[in-house]
Parts: sequence; C-alpha cells; structure tokens
Amino acid sequence: MIATQIALLRRELWEHRAIFVVPAVVAVLIAVSSLTGQVTIGDMKHIDIGIVGASNMPENARSAVLSVMMITLSGPFIFAMWILTVFYTLDSLYAERKDRSILFWRSIPVTDFETVLSKLLTALFVIPLITFVAIIATHLLVLLNASIWVDLRGASPWHLIWSSVPFADNWSATLVLLLTLPLWLSPFIGWFLFVSAFTKRSPLLVAALPIVLLPLVEKILFGSAILSDAFFVRSVKMPLFTGLDNMNLLMQEGENFSKFADANLSLLGLLDLRDFILNPQLWIGIVVCGIFTVAAIYVRRYRDES
Amino acid sequence: MTSIVSARNVSKSFGTLRAVDNVSFEIEQGRVMGLIGPNGAGKTTLLKAVLGLTDCEGRLSVLGLDPFRQRRELMQNICFIADVAVLPRWIKVSQLFDFLESVHPNFSRTRAEDLLQLTDIKTKSKVRELSKGMVTQLHLSIIIAINAKLLVLDEPTLGLDIIFRKEFYTNLLNDYFDEKRTIIITTHQVEEIENLLTDVMFIDHGGLVLDSNMDAIAEDYVELLASAENAVKVARFKPFYEKEVFGKKVLTFEGVSREQLAEFGEVRTPNIADLFVAKIKGEAA
Repeated sequence: MIATQIALLRRELWEHRAIFVVPAVVAVLIAVSSLTGQVTIGDMKHIDIGIVGASNMPENARSAVLSVMMITLSGPFIFAMWILTVFYTLDSLYAERKDRSILFWRSIPVTDFETVLSKLLTALFVIPLITFVAIIATHLLVLLNASIWVDLRGASPWHLIWSSVPFADNWSATLVLLLTLPLWLSPFIGWFLFVSAFTKRSPLLVAALPIVLLPLVEKILFGSAILSDAFFVRSVKMPLFTGLDNMNLLMQEGENFSKFADANLSLLGLLDLRDFILNPQLWIGIVVCGIFTVAAIYVRRYRDES
Repeated sequence: MTSIVSARNVSKSFGTLRAVDNVSFEIEQGRVMGLIGPNGAGKTTLLKAVLGLTDCEGRLSVLGLDPFRQRRELMQNICFIADVAVLPRWIKVSQLFDFLESVHPNFSRTRAEDLLQLTDIKTKSKVRELSKGMVTQLHLSIIIAINAKLLVLDEPTLGLDIIFRKEFYTNLLNDYFDEKRTIIITTHQVEEIENLLTDVMFIDHGGLVLDSNMDAIAEDYVELLASAENAVKVARFKPFYEKEVFGKKVLTFEGVSREQLAEFGEVRTPNIADLFVAKIKGEAA
C-alpha cells in the first residue's frame, strides 16, 4: 500500500514536471535579480552599509530586516505554488482521459482510491515541500550574494548576516505556512480534483464558473453574501495570522523595524498554530475537500469511458 | 479444467439499450477465446464487465473474483490491452518499467527488458517519440512480462499495418501463450486470428449467437458450394444462410453431415468470418 503510494507520487512528478519547474523558475528569477542587486541591496540599505564595517543597527533590528527580506522572497513562491496547485489539480484526472491513457492506468492493480489519493497528497504535501526546498535554496543564494556584496565593502558578512539571521525560526515559520495554506484552501483543492475527474472539456472554466456565479446569484436572490464570504474572504482570512497586528508592524517600512525588533518577536511566534488547528472552519473545509475527493474517486470508478 | 470466466445471465443496460442481454458462458483455462461481433454488438461492454471496469447485473466471476468489487486483486492476475498505442505519451520507457515494478507483483522487469532488446526501442525514449508500431511492441513486451492468468485484448491491433499485426500475434503466441494462460480477444480482422483461436463466441445485439470450440465448428457447420440447380435440391436440409458467389450458390448448414451434401457440390468447413456473416444474417432473415 505504501510502496504503491510512493510509486504513484513519483509518477505524478514525472507527469507534471511543472511541480519542479515552476519553483525552479521563480528561484532563478529571484537569484538573478539578487545578482543585479535588485533584491539584496535594497534591503541591505536598511542596515546602512554606507557606514561600512560599523553596524549602526542593533543585532535584533538587523535580524528583523533580514527576516523581512526572507519573507518577501518567499512571497512569489507561495503565490506561484497556489497557481501551480490550481492547474495541477485541474489537470490531474483530466489529462489521463484526454490522452486516453486512463485504460492503461486502470489495467494496473491500483485502485481508484489510491490513484486519486496520490493526486490529493501531491497537492497538499508534495508541492509545498518542493516549494519549501526551492525557498531555502533561494534564501541561501541571496544571502550568499549579499555576503559577497558586504564583503566587497570590507564588512564582515558573518557578523552582519549569517549570525543575525534566525534561520531555524524563519524556516520553520515558512514550512508551517506552506503546509497549512493548502489545508486551509483544501475545499478548493477537492473541488478542482472533482471537476478534473468529471468534466469533458475546459476544466478551468468549469471550475471557476460556480465560484464566480453562485455568490452573484445568492446576492441577487437573497441579498446575502454567505457564499462570497466562504469563497473569497476565506482565502485571505486564514486564522493562522491572528497575530496580524504584529505582522503589520513587521511589514511597515523603515523606522518601525526597531519597534518590531524591540518586541523581539519570532516569525514562528507570529503564527497562531493553535488557533488555526482549533478553527472549525478549517475542519469544515477539510470535510468539504473529503467529500469532493470521494466524489472524484466515485466518478473515476463508475463512469463508463466508452 | 478450471473455469477462468464464468458468466450467468449477465446483462448491462445503458438507459433503455440492453448492451449485454442475459448472456451466460464459461471460459476454461488454457483457451484462446475469440469474441466476435459487429460494431455496437456489446463486445466491449462485456469485456469491460469482465475487467471490472463496469458493473453489471447477473453473476459474473473472473478467476473466482467479483470483477467490479475486487478489481485490485483481479488486476494482479489479468492483463488487458484495449486498443494499443494508448500508453501515456509523456512517460519514458524506463519510468514505465520502474512504475510497473513497484506496483505490479507479477511484473518481471528483466523479461520486459530482454524483449525490448529485440526491438529498436530505447529505454530512455518517451512514448511520444515512438512510432505507433513501436508503442505496440512496447505494450506487448509489458503484457508478456506480466505473469497473468488471463489476458484480455480488445481490438489490440486497431490502426496498425499488416506487418505489425502479424508480428503482434506471432509474438503473442510464441512468447506469451501456454496451457496455463487464457486469452480473450476481440477484433474485426477475424481472418488474422482464426488459426490461433481454440474457441469462438459470436455476439449480436447484446446476445450470444454462437459459443463453440473450433473443433466443434468443423463438425457442426458445413458450407456447400453448389450450382443454382443443386441449391434447390438441398433446400430440404434447411440451409440457414445462402449467398451467391461467381454465379454459384454458397449455402451454410448446421448439423448436416458432409456425406449427405457431398453429391451436390463442393463441401468445406466455413471460415470464421463467413460463418459469422451467415449466423448474423441468417438469424436476421
């Protein structure tokens, strides 16, 4: 069972090369722009490298600046990850029918449950973990580049950068965010899998239409906004960020860094994992995802392909 | 003899259409069964039921399993090709072997690689880079490398040229078939498989028109090539089908001895294709 699942997950990576390619492209773009100084120098100015060698910022402020830089770098990856997840899930059960290879896949001793599960696991865990690796690599590359930049000005990269970055805190927070975001958005993932399993054409359109139209219909008929809350507000109001005030503090430019630094907050500390896990909306979402996934399995199993 | 497939009153409807209508048959181990029928006769639906790809009414048992409900177990001992050349196009040959090795308990990678050595297919190639004939060869090597008890072939050579078709069946017989294995095969090109069948079933409008082994066909059916004048004389033997070829009559009989007919013309065993036409048209008449 586990060996089969691993083989199926590997199969997903062979078929959907974008799972690697997309984060790699984002990483290369960021690395290249960091080489030209677009990324690093802008941030390093806060540390006022102008007074080379003499750090005019307290250690905790420097650490805050570097953390902000790292979060900023993770942003495009998380955005790309979600786009990738949408397209992956929509394609995952559609492609095998389009290229007619489904009969081959079904001629192998693997159940429909196992197959659909592998697609769900890819969306929930494999894509985030690969994105995570790409983020770490990018962070290291950009910091390395910054180190060269600092070193050329006669300052100590070790002192200014490497010893100041709270790597463990930063990366744990990133990993938590990468793994919780798909869970929070899992009802959409389930819906996309289901659409991918049943639609005869244009899965993107078929998946998007109800998400756009249903809230509109609800608004017109009942004047309420339950669906639009469920569909749109949900995606931005993840209960992981109840410490959002602190986050704002962190995100503000310039002098506020010192406020954040004074607060001595860790990124991980900003994420309220307990509140997230105890949030009923999370679990409702997971149940919805489960229902759609079972529906996708059912469609794959019972539909006659001839 | 062990029964590999056992069907009792199997039916399958799509809306009001009865694609398979109350069909009963047995297929025993070591047989090569040809399932022959016109388009839309219910062949593919019946095969799908056997493969557990579709549910059906009645009692259907394949290798002692309920094919629809125990499909995973079933697939460990069944192989099928439904229209070759539909392997996933993005996959590399080596990846295909890796995958099968990890999910199929009866797949022998060395066997598949040995077979591939005999072809021009490289393990680094992707399926999309292969010609249709090569994909067929690849698919066949996989099938042969899987130690399955039952092989189901649904129009396996559709769209292939004659050379590949012949090669496909030759390899199938030489490398795959032995007395422990059973094959069910459907095709339009009946002539090409006639000499490898041990049994034959005709299906039309969802029902079985004929279920017989090949030896019995030679005993039960006889074709008479006679002049128009003689054709009238044999009417008392009740031919169930009659046609005209080059000014002569060809009549098909069931259960009439050759000796009785020999004096009226040339007597021979009908080939499967002719018998099929005779049966289907004769029934309709």
